Amino acid sequence: MIEIKNVNKWFGEFQVLTDINETIERGQTVVICGPSGSGKSTLLRCINGLEPYQKGQILVDGVSLSDPKTNLYKLRENIGMVFQRFELYPHMTALQNITLAPMKVRKLSKDKARKKAMELLQRVGIPDKADSYPANLSGGQQQRVAIARSLAMEPKYMMFDEPTSALDPEMIKEVLDVMIDLAKEGMTMLCVTHEMGFAREVADEIIFMDFGKIVERGTYEGFFKNPKSERAKEFLKQIL
Amino acid sequence: MFDAVARNITFLLGGFVVTLQLTFFALAGGIALGALVGLGRISKNKWIFQPVTLYVNFIRNMPLILVIFWFYFVMPIIAGRPLNPFLSAVISFIIFEATYFGEIFRAGYQSISKDLTSAAYSTGMTYIQTARYILIPVAFRRMLPSLITQSIVTFQDTSLAFVIGLQEFVRRTSIVDNLEVRSIQLFGFVAIIFFIFCFIASKISRHFEEKGRKLGMI
Repeated sequence: MIEIKNVNKWFGEFQVLTDINETIERGQTVVICGPSGSGKSTLLRCINGLEPYQKGQILVDGVSLSDPKTNLYKLRENIGMVFQRFELYPHMTALQNITLAPMKVRKLSKDKARKKAMELLQRVGIPDKADSYPANLSGGQQQRVAIARSLAMEPKYMMFDEPTSALDPEMIKEVLDVMIDLAKEGMTMLCVTHEMGFAREVADEIIFMDFGKIVERGTYEGFFKNPKSERAKEFLKQIL
Repeated sequence: MFDAVARNITFLLGGFVVTLQLTFFALAGGIALGALVGLGRISKNKWIFQPVTLYVNFIRNMPLILVIFWFYFVMPIIAGRPLNPFLSAVISFIIFEATYFGEIFRAGYQSISKDLTSAAYSTGMTYIQTARYILIPVAFRRMLPSLITQSIVTFQDTSLAFVIGLQEFVRRTSIVDNLEVRSIQLFGFVAIIFFIFCFIASKISRHFEEKGRKLGMI
């Protein structure tokens, strides 16, 4: 369970997160949407301990991120993250991208790590790309490798930061399909995305953020069909 | 046609060895110090950033020959005794080249996106692991062509050490020329040797650049 309690964050004078409260239960999929600069990515980065916050608390399975005794490296093993621009290691093949952390962090043998990586590549549908370098993969394929790389650490949580917004339209579906399968298999997911189809299929809750605040929250039907706030109505008009 | 060269070949090649030694120490020191200068140039601490930036800007706006001269004449005043020309040249080259290598390192460090680091962190890797397996290899591959190019420049620049009387390749050639008076032949020989070395190195640099481009890293 991830508990976000009254979190506030500033970049210098500028407040990027204001009074964020949210609880994500195991097995849930939460979709975060909102205009750019609304603090969505920053919130994800805070949950992964990649950014500090100044007020409030984030607890992952009861462990506080702001507690100086917390080992953030250890904590991150449980939280996978997928980025808008894939961020694959450019000097490594797809397979090496996936096996690196299991071998170095989990100390898995090379054979075990490779076997697991091949299973994951199978699962995301590109086992034939194991020996390709990121530069030779399409955006959709790169993003699927990135998902496999995160899954290789067997995380309890997966976070997606606009995973399809850098993709050509015809590649969006192949990535979303992988994400939908994951959600249906019971992965706990936190996704920053504006993909309505994805939200309709798997989102348990949708959070709408603007200017660093959670302005509205609801189910797919509630939010996309009947938004309450003016700001959300305006936003939905633009993305639909 | 290379009779004057043939008559003095041992003496000339002895000078070339000095040139290679000077290049070696200048590069080893210049690259090591440059890696630190690059770090200083991206430091958020103004007590580090500002002095390093001042140093880089000052030296980069100086002709190398002045740095060599100046260091050679100022050091005896500071150290109380004259330095030998080789040591003096090595130190001046390190001071000079470190600013150029520093800017290459700065660009290399800055070419790493914050998200690439975050991606590595989010798989549970520590800072050391991330630096070792991702940041350093990626930055190094991106920098390699520029590092080789700057090394070629350093190699060529070492001939300027003749101004403080160091008997490197060019200096020794001019000594021979004073006796033999065969300037075209002798300096032609020097030119050929420099060209061969630099041409091969530039081909190597090119190779790494192509390789980097294929991996989409440059």
